[in-house]
Parts: sequence; C-alpha cells; structure tokens
Amino acid sequence: MTPQQQELRQTRNPVAVDIVGLNKWYGSFHVLRDVDLRIARGERIVIAGPSGSGKSTLLRCINRLEDWQEGSVVVDGVELTDDLKKIEDVRREVGMVFQQFNLFPHLTVMQNCTLAPIWVRHMPRKAAEDLARHYLERVQIPEQAGKYPSQLSGGQQQRVAIARALCMQPKIMLFDEPTSALDPEMIKEVLDTMVMLAEDGMTMAVVTHEMGFARQVANRVALMDAGQIIEMSEPARFFENPQHERTKLFLSQILR
Amino acid sequence: MNSIDNTMTEGNGSQLRFVRRAMVPERARPLAVDVIGAIWRRLFGGVFNTMLTLVSAFILVALVWPTFRFMIWDAVWDGASRVDCLEETLKRPVGACWPFVQAKFGQFIYGFYPEAERWRPNLVFLIGALLLAPLLVPGAPLKRINALLFFVVFPIVSFFLLVGGRFGLVHVETRVWGGLLITLVISFTGIVASMPLGILLALGRRSPLPAVRVVSVAIIEFWRGVPLITVLFFATYMLPFFLPPHWNVDALLRVLIGVTLFSGAYLAEVIRGGLQAIPRGQFEAAAAMGMGYWKVMGLIIMPQALKYVIPGLVNSFIALFKDTTLVLIVSIFDLLGQVRTSFSDPNWATPVTLFTGFAFAGIIYFVISFAMSRYALAMERRLSTDHRAT
Amino acid sequence: MKRVIIALGLAATLGLLSTAASAQMLKTVKDRGTLTCGVSQGLPGFSSPDDKGAWTGLDVDLCRAMAAAIFNDASKVKYVPLTANARFTALQSGEIDVLSRNTTWTSSRDTSLGFNFAAVTYYDGQGFMVKKSLKVNSALELNGASICTQSGTTTEANAADYFRANNMKFEVVKFETADEAIKAYDTGRCDGFTSDVSQLYAMRLKLTAMNDHVVLPEVISKEPLGPAVRQGDDQWFDIVKWVHFAMINAEELGVSSKSVDEAMKSPQPEIKRLLGLEGAYGEQLGLTKDWVVRIVKLVGNYGEIFEKNVGSGSKLGIARGLNRLWTKGGIQYAPPIR
Repeated sequence: MTPQQQELRQTRNPVAVDIVGLNKWYGSFHVLRDVDLRIARGERIVIAGPSGSGKSTLLRCINRLEDWQEGSVVVDGVELTDDLKKIEDVRREVGMVFQQFNLFPHLTVMQNCTLAPIWVRHMPRKAAEDLARHYLERVQIPEQAGKYPSQLSGGQQQRVAIARALCMQPKIMLFDEPTSALDPEMIKEVLDTMVMLAEDGMTMAVVTHEMGFARQVANRVALMDAGQIIEMSEPARFFENPQHERTKLFLSQILR
Repeated sequence: MNSIDNTMTEGNGSQLRFVRRAMVPERARPLAVDVIGAIWRRLFGGVFNTMLTLVSAFILVALVWPTFRFMIWDAVWDGASRVDCLEETLKRPVGACWPFVQAKFGQFIYGFYPEAERWRPNLVFLIGALLLAPLLVPGAPLKRINALLFFVVFPIVSFFLLVGGRFGLVHVETRVWGGLLITLVISFTGIVASMPLGILLALGRRSPLPAVRVVSVAIIEFWRGVPLITVLFFATYMLPFFLPPHWNVDALLRVLIGVTLFSGAYLAEVIRGGLQAIPRGQFEAAAAMGMGYWKVMGLIIMPQALKYVIPGLVNSFIALFKDTTLVLIVSIFDLLGQVRTSFSDPNWATPVTLFTGFAFAGIIYFVISFAMSRYALAMERRLSTDHRAT
Repeated sequence: MKRVIIALGLAATLGLLSTAASAQMLKTVKDRGTLTCGVSQGLPGFSSPDDKGAWTGLDVDLCRAMAAAIFNDASKVKYVPLTANARFTALQSGEIDVLSRNTTWTSSRDTSLGFNFAAVTYYDGQGFMVKKSLKVNSALELNGASICTQSGTTTEANAADYFRANNMKFEVVKFETADEAIKAYDTGRCDGFTSDVSQLYAMRLKLTAMNDHVVLPEVISKEPLGPAVRQGDDQWFDIVKWVHFAMINAEELGVSSKSVDEAMKSPQPEIKRLLGLEGAYGEQLGLTKDWVVRIVKLVGNYGEIFEKNVGSGSKLGIARGLNRLWTKGGIQYAPPIR
C-alpha cells in the first residue's frame, strides 16, 4: 500500500471489543469485578477513575497483557484465551501506547517503527521504512527518524511511540495514560496527535486524566472505581449531569 | 554586569523585577589556566596529599626499578646454554635469561607440534587475526559476513588445518599440541561456545515453564558447584572407565566440552543479571505488537541485556583465558605448562630460569588480558551512546 | 597424598574388574608401528624435552631401547607426559604400553594396582642437601633444622620417619612444586632440602652458587625406579625386563655403541650369544636375532645411557654409586642371556 492509500483499517465486526463478566484476582485481591464493556467499531471511549481502580488493568486485558480468571474478552470476533496463536493474532491488530513510552533505546526512531512491520508482518524493509516515514510525518516529527530515543524530549518520544504503534496499522488503539509521564508543556502535542487520530475514525480506548480531551473527542466516558464501572455516558451528560455519587465526587476532585 | 543595568532595584537593594533586553550570546569555555599549578597543588598541596604522593612514588620505585633491572638492565640477551646465564661466567648480577626463552620459544608457542607442520598453526593464527581485526573496528563494513566467517567458518577451517588427516595434510594428534596454541584454542572455543549456552540457560532459568526452569537451575548450580580442576580430571581420567571401551573421545575434546559447560553456567548468571535490569515495559511493548517470545528476546531484550553486562562478560572471558592453565593437571601443556616443563631441561638450569620463564608467561597473559579488557571498555563506551544513563 | 590414595583406591577396584590383557601387547605395538611410553612432565635426567622438543633422559632411553629392539628405529616412540596422579590410571586404562616415569617399585604397586615392575633401572634413595656453611657432615647432625620439600610425595613421610627414628626434631616446609621448594631453600628459608638424590643433583643446578651446597651421604629410603607394565601379558613383561638386562650385560661384556661392530667379530661365547650370533634368544622373546645389536647401536649400553643422562656426560654429574655393575661394587646385576 502506498502512503496515499493508507486508509485506517477497521474491524470486521461492528463490535470491536466485547468484554463480558470479567473478573480478575491479583493473588487474593479482586482487582476487576464483573466488568461488562462493549466498544463499537470506530468508537472512542475514555476510561477515568482514581488510581488503583483497575482501569489500566482492564485496558491491558484487551490485548492479553493481563490474564483473567473469569469472564471473556472477544476482540474483533476472536476470543482471547491461553491460545498463543490467537493472542498474537489479536496483538497484531491492536496497537498500544504506554505511559512510560517503552521505546527501544538501542534502536533509532526509524528502527523502532519498522521493527514490528518487518518481523511480524514480514514487510520488505523499503516498504516498512516508507510506512514509518508516513506516520512520523503524521505525528509531525519526520526529522527525528535517525535519532535515538534518549535524544528526544518526552513529548517527542510519546509521539514516536504512537507512530510505532500505527506502523502496524492496527484496527484498535489502546492508550494507557499516555500523557501522565509528560511535562505539562508537552501534553498538548501528544493530545493533538490523538485528536487527529480520532478524527480519522480510529477505534480508541483511552485511560487518562485529561478530561478536556475526553470532552472534545470521546463518544463515551466511563468511570471506574474498585474494579467496576460505576457510570458510563456521553461526555455532555457525564460532565454536566453525573448520576452516581462517586462520579460526582471524582469530578469535584479533578475539575477545579 | 548587563543584568544589573536592567534591574530595577528597590530602595533596600532587593532584586524584585527584571526584564531582559539583550540575549546573552553563547561563547566558548575559558581554557584552564595554570595546568602545572593545578598538578602541583594536587600532589603537594597539604600534608595529606604530600604524604600520599611520597608513599606512591616510593611504591612505584620499589616495584618498577627491580622489574626493570631484572627484565632489561641485568638481563642476558645472548647465549647457548646455562653457563651463559650464570653469575660466575658473567661476573655480574644476572637478570632474565632471554636466550632460554629464545631456545624454547617454539615449544612455548606450539608445544610439541611437529616443526615441519608449524606452518599450519601459523596459518590459523594469521587467518584469525585477519578476520578479527575488522570485527573489532566499529566502522568496518560487512559486519554480518565478517562475524559469520569468524565465528562459524574460521573454527571449522582451523579444525581441519590443525588436526589434519584430510586434504593431504598430515594428521597431528591433539596430544602434541601445546603452548600458546592450546591456550588460544581452549580460550577461543570456550568463549565462543559458552556464550550461546549461557544465553539459553539464562533464559531457561527465567522461563515460566517449570520443567525448563528446574533443568536450567540444576545445570547452572551443578557446573558452578564443581571446581574446574575436578571437571577436567574427571572428564579425562574417570570418564573412560564409564564409557564403553571403544568410545575413544579425544582428550582435548573432553576438556573443551568441560570448559564450555563450566563457563556457560557462569555466563548464564551474568547474563541473567542483565536480563533482570531490563524493564518489563520493554517486553510488553514488543509483545503488544504481536512479537513472539524468541523475537522479543532476540531483537529487544538480549541486545540490551548483553550491553549492560559487558563488564561481567569480559571478566568471565578473561578468567577463562587464564583458567586454561589448569589443563596441566590432565597433561595438556598450555603456555604455562610448557614453560614449567622447560624448567626441567638441565641444559638451561640456572637460578634465574624460573623467574625468566614465569616473567615471559606473565607478559603474554597480561598483554592479552589487558587487550581484551581495554577493547571491552571501548565497546562499552561506544554502545552506551543510546543508553539513558551513561 | 590424598589424591594419590583416591586414585590408587579407584584403580585398585577397577584393576580387579579389568579384563586381563592377553599376550597381545607385542603384536599390538608392532601393528601400530609405535611404542606408547608414559613419561614425566619434565624431570631432569629422566625425562625432559630439549630445545627441539625431543624427549631425553634415562627413562626415555629405556623406551628408545625397546623401540630399537622392536622396530630397529629408536625414534618410533610416542611419549605421553603424565602427572604423578594420572600415571597409574593411564597404564591401567591402556593409554600407554609401558610406564617409564621414575616410578618407585613397591609391594602395593606391584600387587593391588595390577602392575608388574620389570626391572630397576636406577637405584635411588632420598637424601638431604645443605649449605656447606652449615658445617654439617651427616644427616644425623640436622636436629632442629628446617627442611624444604615438595608436598604430596612420599618424601615428606620418609623424612618424618627418619627424624623420628633418630630422635631428632625438624620443621618441614612444604611447597607445591620442587622448583618452589628449591627457590625457598636457596633464599635461606630453610636449612636443608630433601628429595631423591638424583633430583638433588638436578636441583642443585638451579642454585645461585652451586658449589656452596653439598649432598649429605645418608640415603634414608629405598627408591628403586623402574618401568612398569600391566599384569597379564608375560611376553611383554619379559621384553621390557630383558631390554634392560641386555643393556647391563652389554656393559658387563664391554660392548658399547662404539664397539658393537668390533664385538661382532669376537670369539667369546657370551658375546656371541648376546649379539645373536649364537642361539635363538631374541626369537624366544618374540624379537629378532640381533635385538641386542639394535639396542646397543641405536641407544647404547647401560653405562653409556647413565653417563649421558645423569652421569659425568650430563649437567647433573651423579656418581654411579649403587648403580655400578655388580662387578664394580654396585648392585646392577643382570641374569645371563643363555
């Protein structure tokens, strides 16, 4: 595919992610309790909540970075179990951006981006590099291609991480607190990138504290606390007219 | 001076407000003036420094001067037998007897390898040096082919060259190999073969599969628990009693296997330390893109882990290189073994023969060990350019 | 010492289990084309490599004599240098055909290890060396002395026995190798040095002032050194034995490497039998008629190899002493070839 033909790839099913009755224990700690969540194709969902509420854990279940004891998670029609092949199939189509960026420090920016396409999708090197350049341009740092991650600022690194995930042309993107480790002046550039992605129609699940982003871009906002979804609604209703006590408490704490 | 002009000071001198008018341009750092003065102050500034300087100087002189005297000043450079290195003959204090080294040089380097066939080890040394040199220079091209040649093709070619028996070459038993040749053969094989073994054991020890983990731990702990001497002795003398009588495994091969297993266990632990230093996020990021276990290990984790543990690895390699002297216990004459054997030649028996031989061996071991350690340091520096913490 | 005991114990139990070698050694060696001879890793005068890497010494010459007798070529020998620990297992396991490694003939080695000692090529014994400045003329004057010695050999035990038997006290200073021990003695760390007398002479060469030291006359132990073979092959055993006896007889009858051609013309019946001109004594052993001619011509008679390796023709300069022929007051005595 030439860069001009890069359409965002969509899931085959109208339901991108279907989580039913999910229960997870860390040792004896019940970290996810009876979670039901359905994410539609092209939908953007923001999951918020106090720390320790299990929201990152829930997100990481979607690409089986965490396992679970009860319940099921179906991603684009594929149920995630212990079957390694299915897990790898799902992971190929689900991109993830981490709070700590997790760029590979021994590789250049370009190599970070082309690694998975070459080794997992078996793309020829030239095609992978073209693809990488395309996405580095989209995240607006094409000139950094030859640098090593340690030579970039935090905001630039996170944008590289987004580009790296995009190079696999995923159908779903997961964001685990992507701006929490950034200095305030760099948060905007990353959020702008994510907004651009949303406007292109990417299916996104975002765990974040950035409520401005949620208001601007999300189809749904969910509050998680104590391992369960407390309230979930469209942003307007969530912020203007929260129903649950905990939601009200949470909003009063983070919106000043 | 500029800033004070721009400052609006309050009556009491405090610096409350400030607005810059002109940006300060970048300029070069001033050179350190008075280098000599700085050194002088370091050496003799104060009682403590002066005392340290004097003690250090004394130690240096006490060590360096006798060494210089022995190795160079009082040394004998020409001679044909022991009488040429005796104090009685020369009527002066005698240092190292270098003619002894010269006479025995062939044995020190090749052992008892037949003289007519010594061009073969020489060829092996030459090829090895030619392939190694570009591999060491970071900027040299064709690294992949170079590495393939050096680590795969070169050992095979050397084997045929040294052992012979094929391609028209006379068969030379491993029993007669000796000296530096044996030391390098054992070190090289030990290092090159134990690395993959160490990596596998380290990964195995961290495996989630209990069977793999238990086996890895058992292997590592066993081979770390037995002394190398015991391994060598057992492999050479006891093993034949346990094997069927016609299984005649070459003595040198047994030693190589023992050394490789032994070194592999130590390397496994060194590498495991490096693996533990890699943040879990690296594994997760790679796995999240659909990469399987071996791809993650080979492309992401191992390259980083190995860079972290270069000091530990090189330490093990240097130790292995010097541990090769233990093979004397199984009648294989490495460099040190040849040197010690040559002490028994009555033709060269003098009071200084012992010291000369050990000095020679010491120099060779030191040069090679030092080269390894310096190179590793350079590699470390070069590879750390992309590390977060230097 | 512990290592020796363990090795002996293991070899003893396995010696009983090992199948007896049939009278096949000679054939095996002939077919192979070389004799495999176990030697030391470097003992001056007995087995040590020269500058060219060729092995020389008294033990080496015995093997060369065997090769001369079997192959008419004294160079057809492969030398296997062995540590003291490994020498017995090497013979046990068949790695070597004959052990010619300054090994002392003792009852336990002759029996429980499954070996046969073929002959005594050198009657050695333990002795002491002291500085002349000590003004000591006999080992009995060494009460309270410190003695340097190599550890892990019978040397230490012999010295202890001797001092105890004579009600003398001494301090033993042990070292890993003989070289270290002699260096310590040289620097004055101890008053005396003890080892087999043959080695005292060899070690003396390494002292700063050789002539300032003297070897005391007392020989406090019996160390008959000789070659050993595995039990169970009488023909091979006889060959090793008679190669040594041939060299003794040759010296007794005045046949040397230089005079052997002359001696071929001698009318003396003993010489004729020795050189194979009469009788079939060589063939009885499985060798050729001219087996002694080969030995003497290519290697020499006993006196020649003694002088060349450890006697006046060598740097060691050891006197014949006990190793003189019986006709000259020593105890080297060979049964007649007839």
